[in-house]
Amino acid sequence: MQNKNGRRAVVVGGVRTPFVKAFSDFTKLDTIALGVAAVAGLLKKTGLRHRDVEAMVWGGVILPPTQPNIAREIALDLRLDPGCEGMTVTRACASGLQAITVAAAEIERGNVDVVVAGGSDSTSNATIALPPKVVHALAPLALGKPTAADYLGVLSQLTPISEILPRQPKIAERTTGEVMGESAERMAKRNEISREAQDEFAVRSHHRAAAAIASGRFDEEIVPVQSPDGKWVHADGLVRADTSVEKLAKLRPAFAKDGTLTAGNSSALTDGAAAVLLVSEEKARALGLKPLATLSSWSYVGVDPADQLLMGPALAMPKALDRAGLRLADMDFVDMHEAFAAQVLSVLKMLGSAAFARARLGREEAVGEIDPARLNVHGGSLALGHPFGATGARMVTTMANELSRSGKRTALLGICAAGGLGAGAVLERVE
Amino acid sequence: MSDFLVELGKNPRARSFVQSLGLPIPLPQALRRDRGPWRERPLADTRVAVGAVDGAELATALAECLAASGANPYLALPASLAAAFKGPGETFGRPARPLEALAEKERADALVFDATGIKDIAGLRALYEFFQPLVSRLGRSGRAVVLTRTSDGKTPETAAAQAALEGFVRSLAKEIGRLGATANLVVVAKGAEARLAPVLRFVLSARSAFVSGQPITVNTRARAIHEPPMVRAFEKKIALVTGAARGIGEATARALAQEGAHVVCLDRPADDGPTSQLARSIDGTALGADMGDDDAPTRIADALRSLGGVDVVVHNAGITRDKTLARMKPEVWDQVLTINLAAVIRTTAALEPVLRDNGRIVCLSSIAGIAGNMGQTNYAASKAGIVGFVRTRAEELADRGITVNAVAPGFIETRMTAAIPVAIREVARRLSALGQGGQPEDVAQAIVFLASPGAHGITGRTLRVCGGAFVGA
Repeated sequence: MQNKNGRRAVVVGGVRTPFVKAFSDFTKLDTIALGVAAVAGLLKKTGLRHRDVEAMVWGGVILPPTQPNIAREIALDLRLDPGCEGMTVTRACASGLQAITVAAAEIERGNVDVVVAGGSDSTSNATIALPPKVVHALAPLALGKPTAADYLGVLSQLTPISEILPRQPKIAERTTGEVMGESAERMAKRNEISREAQDEFAVRSHHRAAAAIASGRFDEEIVPVQSPDGKWVHADGLVRADTSVEKLAKLRPAFAKDGTLTAGNSSALTDGAAAVLLVSEEKARALGLKPLATLSSWSYVGVDPADQLLMGPALAMPKALDRAGLRLADMDFVDMHEAFAAQVLSVLKMLGSAAFARARLGREEAVGEIDPARLNVHGGSLALGHPFGATGARMVTTMANELSRSGKRTALLGICAAGGLGAGAVLERVE
Repeated sequence: MSDFLVELGKNPRARSFVQSLGLPIPLPQALRRDRGPWRERPLADTRVAVGAVDGAELATALAECLAASGANPYLALPASLAAAFKGPGETFGRPARPLEALAEKERADALVFDATGIKDIAGLRALYEFFQPLVSRLGRSGRAVVLTRTSDGKTPETAAAQAALEGFVRSLAKEIGRLGATANLVVVAKGAEARLAPVLRFVLSARSAFVSGQPITVNTRARAIHEPPMVRAFEKKIALVTGAARGIGEATARALAQEGAHVVCLDRPADDGPTSQLARSIDGTALGADMGDDDAPTRIADALRSLGGVDVVVHNAGITRDKTLARMKPEVWDQVLTINLAAVIRTTAALEPVLRDNGRIVCLSSIAGIAGNMGQTNYAASKAGIVGFVRTRAEELADRGITVNAVAPGFIETRMTAAIPVAIREVARRLSALGQGGQPEDVAQAIVFLASPGAHGITGRTLRVCGGAFVGA
């Protein structure tokens, strides 16, 4: 969509690293190193000179505590022009899309012309922090000149031992204490999503991703990455071409004793990065870059985390469609982040419900049913994995390429995120 | 003030020990309360059994309210009525299930029966059939609610059947009170269906902890408010609370402030210390005035005018000067009637020009005023007078969307009741279905509810907050 000043940001290319299971091949690559690999690949693929990149916007969820602005670190590590400024954004699992929409807004406002946007996460390198109690107790030793009494005082504060041991980091909602899988489990129950439906959806995701890999469809999007051990990783590590509903049916519930969510129909902890090059339309022509797609609209929403944590896309996607002046029926592709099969299926149910549309969206008709043939055509996070900050950039990359290759016109993106957040965006092919 | 028996009853061992002795010692159930701010989904994840017979008229309103409040409905309904639950279930992820789906060991948090379809005495059998098997499965601090219609334009038998519901509810309240559970009747006038939801949210939630055995009428008398807010309902509103220094007044001021109101805390100049402290802690305004003074009403009106008007007026200030009639001096009679009744009427009149449209007036009546009490002819006269005042004033202000109601507290643990001799106090506490005194917050919750935009269906009424007291009609 053109801005008031007539400027439009276009996606000219995107790449990602292979996505691999946490604590596997990329264990020794932190989120900055993964970002460097993706951006280096992007520059190589687009043929852009280092000095052309004016700004960098990067999304991440697990940020290194001492250098949280990883966008800047990636630019510096890559020896981009020192003038290429950088900012890091975080909006849970929508961080990658957030980085891209921030970049698009900056371009359309006329502030910059060439921005690299994307995101990365390395669950393998999540910092295990000391509990605040230990930090506070140790402070007198670190600051000033401690006396013997100070040492004794610290010792006396460090009991019981259970309170001072570092805890395993977990992705739990701060307000409800619920792990995300537990929230998704409740959504499955409340929206009456069966185990069979979830498993079928997960199998489809794996089969489609496997087909994309086998056909070479992902080759133009993936940059091989060499780990510090010298091993080259060329392909995604989590996709299982041979999985089946029967195999998934054998898995035990992961979040509740009588639950329906399993490791098979939930997305896995993943390491990876994705990067997208956004450029103003004139600059793209000047640089001889072929525009693939533009973001016609986007929308971010919030819902009560204690209610249905991951329903956000059911509100954000219709809002994005409205802003683009389009209907769901106009969409050639729909790409939804698959945090859990149950969450995607719940959102699909909401979009298909007229009662939901009336009460929650203030419109008479349901947003609509989504044809499975158009939904997540190359699989999604269930099969590929979900490096939190990278997923949004992966989706934009795959859909921009898909629009360009197929000659079709529109794609709708939907992402759910921790904190009860949801994101939606409409991509349109640029002629 | 702590209640020894309630505290004792919280200990499960002590509870079973006392009960095993077979002594006639009541062990009242500690009540579930909700002191936090109002929530969007006050009934989140509660199990609500819903019953009705053919011809019931409130299924749609009920279905929407329950799903939007976060409740999981379990239905014992004819299929034609159950259909109303489908859409709301989809919308809020609260699919209705048949009552049989409630597992054997699971308790129901609330039982709701839409009795509007009952047309004759034989039809009352459905009431028995719904509640009889379920009453033993109601959880602690559970809720039983019966919905009915106002009796206008009905055959005598229909009117009798509808009136019978009140006796049923009052008795049920007494039977389930030992669980800390309450039973109430909600009477919905034709056309007032859209105003039912906020009332149900209150009656079914922990906010109505001490309201039991009461009929609550919802009608269209006062001008309606479009989509009243359910949370932060008092933002940008100014509320006056008289007698705010302590007890019920203080609890009300705090509760209103918690929902976003700017509260003008009024009390006698002699209580300036606690009043100012309260006003500071809730970011309100302190105002010193003696309600017995002739110029108090105009001074209050001036103060509120300088704030830009007032939306909520809570007439809480009141005094007791107990003496049997034979020994009562005339000045004591006058004092009580002046402050408790005449001042309320004069202040309301003086505030009328500064009271904004859709405003709310809540007066404090008392069970003593409804039931009468030894040594309180003056006090009871003043508090019964309030009942008549709100009934008439409500009519006059309804077209401006202003409602006028009263709450009538029963035995509430305040400084006033702490002064009662211990033996009498102990008996007074137990003389209610819930077997315990209420907290000032319980009355405050009822006041805040009546003062909220969502209570636009209730006006001219007196709501008892008495735990189902054994006295009074």
